[in-house]
Amino acid sequence: MRPHKLTIGGLGLGVLGLLSAAACGSTSTAQQQTKLAANQVLHFAVFNDFDTLDPSVSDLEVDSEIAQNVFDGPFRYDNNLQIIPDIATVVPTQANGGISADGLTYTIHLKNNVTFSNGDKVTSKDFLYSWNRAAALNGPYAASIFGPVVGFAAVQAAASAKPAGGVSTQQNIENQLAAGNSAFMMSGLTAPDPYTVVVKLANPAGFFLSALTLQATSGMIIDEKVVKNDPVNWWSKPSEFIGTGAYKMTEYIPHQDMKFVSVPNWWGTPKPVLTQVNIDIKASDTATQSTAIAAWEQGKYDLLGYGGSSSLPIADILRIHSSSSESSQLKLIPKGRTTWVSFMVNASYNPTTAAGDPFTGTSQAAIDLRKAFALAIDDKSLANIVCDNLVCIPATGGLITKGLTGYAGDGTDPLAKFDATQAKQLLQQAEQLNPSYTNEVQHLTYVYNQGGLNDSVAQFLQGDWQTNLGIHVSILGQTQPPFIGNRLKGDYVMSRDGWQFDYNHPQDWYDNLWGKAVLSADASTSGYDSATYDSTLAQADKLPLQQALPLYAQLAAELQAQAVYIPLYYSVGTFLIHSYVQGAGSTTQADYYWNGISILSH
Amino acid sequence: MAVVAAPRADQEFISSTVVREQASLWRDGLRRLRRNRLALVSAVYLILLAIVALVALVWTPYPTSAIGVAPIYSGPSGSHLLGADELGRDLLSRLMAGAQISLAVGLLSAAIVLGIGVVVGLTAGYFRGWVDGVISTVINIFYGIPALLVALLMVTVLGRSFTNVVIAISATVWMDVARLVRGQTLSLREREYVEAARASGARNLKILFGHILPNALGPIIVAVTFVIPSAILFEAFLSYLGVGIPPPTPTWGAIASEGVQALRLSPHILLFPSLALSLTLLAFNFLGDGLRDAFDPRQKR
Amino acid sequence: MLIYIGQRVLLIAFTVLVVSFVVFLGIHSLPGNTFVNERVRGASLALLLHEYGLDRPVLVQYWDFISHAVQGNFGVSLVNRGEPITPIVLRELSVSAELGGAALVITIGMGVLFGVIAALRQNTWVDYVLTTFAIIGYSVPSFVIASLFVLIFGIWLFDVTGGSFYYPLTWDGTYGTLIELSVPAVALGLFTSSLVARITRASMLDVIHQDYVRTARAKGLKNSVVVVRHALRNALIPVTSVLGPLIISIITGSVVIENIFGIPGLGKEFINSILSHDYNVTVAVFTMYALLVGVANLAVDLAYTVIDPRIRY
Repeated sequence: MRPHKLTIGGLGLGVLGLLSAAACGSTSTAQQQTKLAANQVLHFAVFNDFDTLDPSVSDLEVDSEIAQNVFDGPFRYDNNLQIIPDIATVVPTQANGGISADGLTYTIHLKNNVTFSNGDKVTSKDFLYSWNRAAALNGPYAASIFGPVVGFAAVQAAASAKPAGGVSTQQNIENQLAAGNSAFMMSGLTAPDPYTVVVKLANPAGFFLSALTLQATSGMIIDEKVVKNDPVNWWSKPSEFIGTGAYKMTEYIPHQDMKFVSVPNWWGTPKPVLTQVNIDIKASDTATQSTAIAAWEQGKYDLLGYGGSSSLPIADILRIHSSSSESSQLKLIPKGRTTWVSFMVNASYNPTTAAGDPFTGTSQAAIDLRKAFALAIDDKSLANIVCDNLVCIPATGGLITKGLTGYAGDGTDPLAKFDATQAKQLLQQAEQLNPSYTNEVQHLTYVYNQGGLNDSVAQFLQGDWQTNLGIHVSILGQTQPPFIGNRLKGDYVMSRDGWQFDYNHPQDWYDNLWGKAVLSADASTSGYDSATYDSTLAQADKLPLQQALPLYAQLAAELQAQAVYIPLYYSVGTFLIHSYVQGAGSTTQADYYWNGISILSH
Repeated sequence: MAVVAAPRADQEFISSTVVREQASLWRDGLRRLRRNRLALVSAVYLILLAIVALVALVWTPYPTSAIGVAPIYSGPSGSHLLGADELGRDLLSRLMAGAQISLAVGLLSAAIVLGIGVVVGLTAGYFRGWVDGVISTVINIFYGIPALLVALLMVTVLGRSFTNVVIAISATVWMDVARLVRGQTLSLREREYVEAARASGARNLKILFGHILPNALGPIIVAVTFVIPSAILFEAFLSYLGVGIPPPTPTWGAIASEGVQALRLSPHILLFPSLALSLTLLAFNFLGDGLRDAFDPRQKR
Repeated sequence: MLIYIGQRVLLIAFTVLVVSFVVFLGIHSLPGNTFVNERVRGASLALLLHEYGLDRPVLVQYWDFISHAVQGNFGVSLVNRGEPITPIVLRELSVSAELGGAALVITIGMGVLFGVIAALRQNTWVDYVLTTFAIIGYSVPSFVIASLFVLIFGIWLFDVTGGSFYYPLTWDGTYGTLIELSVPAVALGLFTSSLVARITRASMLDVIHQDYVRTARAKGLKNSVVVVRHALRNALIPVTSVLGPLIISIITGSVVIENIFGIPGLGKEFINSILSHDYNVTVAVFTMYALLVGVANLAVDLAYTVIDPRIRY
């Protein structure tokens, strides 16, 4: 998941709502102006500074949505989230022989006209360098993408040994790769000729191509020449931040701005029309965002919402939405993000928390108790009151967001139902089965990270539990860094949880949120695990998507039967785009690329 | 104060005046205070505010945490006199409850500051020497750090809660009172009655609390009265920065900071708590002014 | 005098050390660190922590920090991986200093001016109007005033002002234009200028009724001469005595004002770094603030000797 700093505000809108908003809000568009402006400069603001734009280790949405215009990989996602070739000539399938019959060998043929923005030609050795480096660095997505590749574990082990001689780990990796040290190279990755790359997997992995295509992460191709001498800071210097994309960086002033220009004679398509992209780096608090919105309204910015900054303050969104002159420029685009409440259900995962935690265990009493809390929450009312039905949709179809593969269908999640009477019944049943609950439920705290809508959501939840169950739950807001770390260790009995999808494959969800793998990596909020979950998941991951879907659905059913979570809402991203900006927008996953945007005369 | 030979011939008149000086200072002061209309109005306002705060303990037009009783962000209307906030809660009810919190924060901080300031100031001023040196250095160090930053850091480290906010506020404003008390102690300890007390064998503690403190009380009370509005304002700032008393507690500062975000959509959410804050701060400031004018023996007319 | 300055410098250094140490410990005592999220955990987290030296004992880390800081190197940011902090902090310091300086000028200028006028026109409507302004200035929280300024000058009056004073798009290098500065500076300085106005008015009233002023008038000196040369000089003494706290007030106020006006200064940086747990930046900013305050206070106290020749250290 692309973490957001501070503003994981869930915003969602139903498709129907989207259509009606567009219909009611838009005035008749002026006659289509097809004349391009003389000045093709795009100016917008983002609300977080970059962590790092080095694709091998970058993580945040703001990082990837900017870097996606600088780097390419073998494939990319088009605006319909279909995988299409980028540096590769075709997408490998079993039909065209790109994927072997046993699903273990992928052959990728490269175009021969791809160059970096400094003129260096891209060949298969760049693929080997980039991917081995990513594996060695073990960044946030390395395991998801290269985990299935033969030799990955060996490279990880070699790279994590602390190097001798006071050399930093990153520099050491560069040195070893430059020297050709095979301990740092995945044995399953080979390059039979300058324009072919062969990847051997240890086990079939139906999600491999989806993960590899993920923009601006470990699968992207970088130029060893510029990286090897400055492996940590190369991304912040114009002379070293080199990629194959349509744009290159010309200036970076930390906490202030970053500027890009288009690469002349770029090899790809569509050719860039924008000559410059100027990004102001602002802070993420609501006051700053509000002021930025005012600046947008006055024409200082061409658009807002790009660069991971699509959770704009709701008060301003409401105001713009009800303004007849501006509402047509407000785009509400569903984002693949779901927000829910997680229970810590596994006593052995975190015994300290489990001490006062009535929600642990798989007994009928525990399940009834969790279900009681889930049924006491009115998701429709939440979406109405907290989001005014604009920026969030009630999550009634399971945790995988509506619109993504693996979505179960509206209204299919039994935990999303609102039934106060049944909730109270279940509560009484649970307390009868386990009398210690009566005391323990009086001392519950729901923990969440401050920012965006989270405070409102927390207060709403508190209100519903009080009204519908008669239980007072305290709420505790924290800043992001301690919150995430503690939550993943299972420190919180009830906490705000969420996930934004990386690539459109259920594996992205089920492998990263529950099960043995995350449990042993101390990265499981709920601590949920079961033998059936693990075996079904392992099986599903190997199969091609269509065959795997029913298995993934079984996992969803298991989580629902065990009442491991309380579903809340799906998010909707808010974009403010002036009418003279053409080609800007977003998929559920990421912003549209810059090389599709043009400025009309205005 | 020693009797100074006066040009008047009526010594008896003078001596009786001087002997009653202590008692009539207070009565004089109160009389002067009563004549200060602004201070009177302020006192009345504050009493009314306290009544509202007490009433809010048992009754508000709507429950303060009842979500959705009005459309979100809606403005003043017949059923919701001051409008509703971002979760559709009645603003009037929340402001009434906010009065409790603001007053509590102010009074509690003032009490703590009074306690610390008096103890520290008396100690430094009376014992002087290295004790005073150390204490004065500590005071100067605290003065050398911007208050807001200290408070911000404290609340971040200790966590957001009513107690921690009060502690953080007190920790940043106690120095003024301490310095004042120290100054008063330094000058008062030279008075004859203190010497007399010491000569007659009174213990230090008795001298400090029995003789020096009562005479220094006037300016101390004035200073502490000014701490209350500072504390209330400070809490508002902390809430605006996101480190004040956590939700769902309805402090005026927290409501105002929500209001800033929604200024162009629903200005009433900022307007009303700001008004409440300003009026209350004004009242305390005028009252403090009045107290200072009333009890200042160097009254110039 | 030199001994006094020497003592003060020592005190400043001591204060800065204590402050940086306490802040350092405080931030590092917070559970959780900047890096951890759903995807960075286990071995890769340990590696990251090692790269940035965060797995060493706190005291060792502090020693490392302070020994570099005295040479002017504040280390690297944890949130902007590897970016050196010093240039960022220095750049933002100059922005904040400029804003603070402008606010100080307004504070003293406006405050003294209004105070004097109110005193000279005591109990007339001029006095009442000015006093009311002053009252509003210190009893309305500055974030309310700043928000209203943005609303009025930036949005309603956008056609007149061009909105350039807020959300400046080009803080080239460090300086904004006079127009860009003026509204935020007023918003920042309003609180302190109100205090100055009150003090000036009260002390002017004091001084005007004193004998030496009456004597000067009786001698036939023009009123303006009397006011400026005799009365004002003495009336300003109480003002200079509160200059220290005033400067501190402006510094803390800038944290909020920079936020609202979108000015990329030290105050904004401070808040962001706390929220994002960028330890190094928080400590660096805090240390800079402590230094600033110490130096400002010393400057004020030294200036005091110029204004009031009776004061000698």
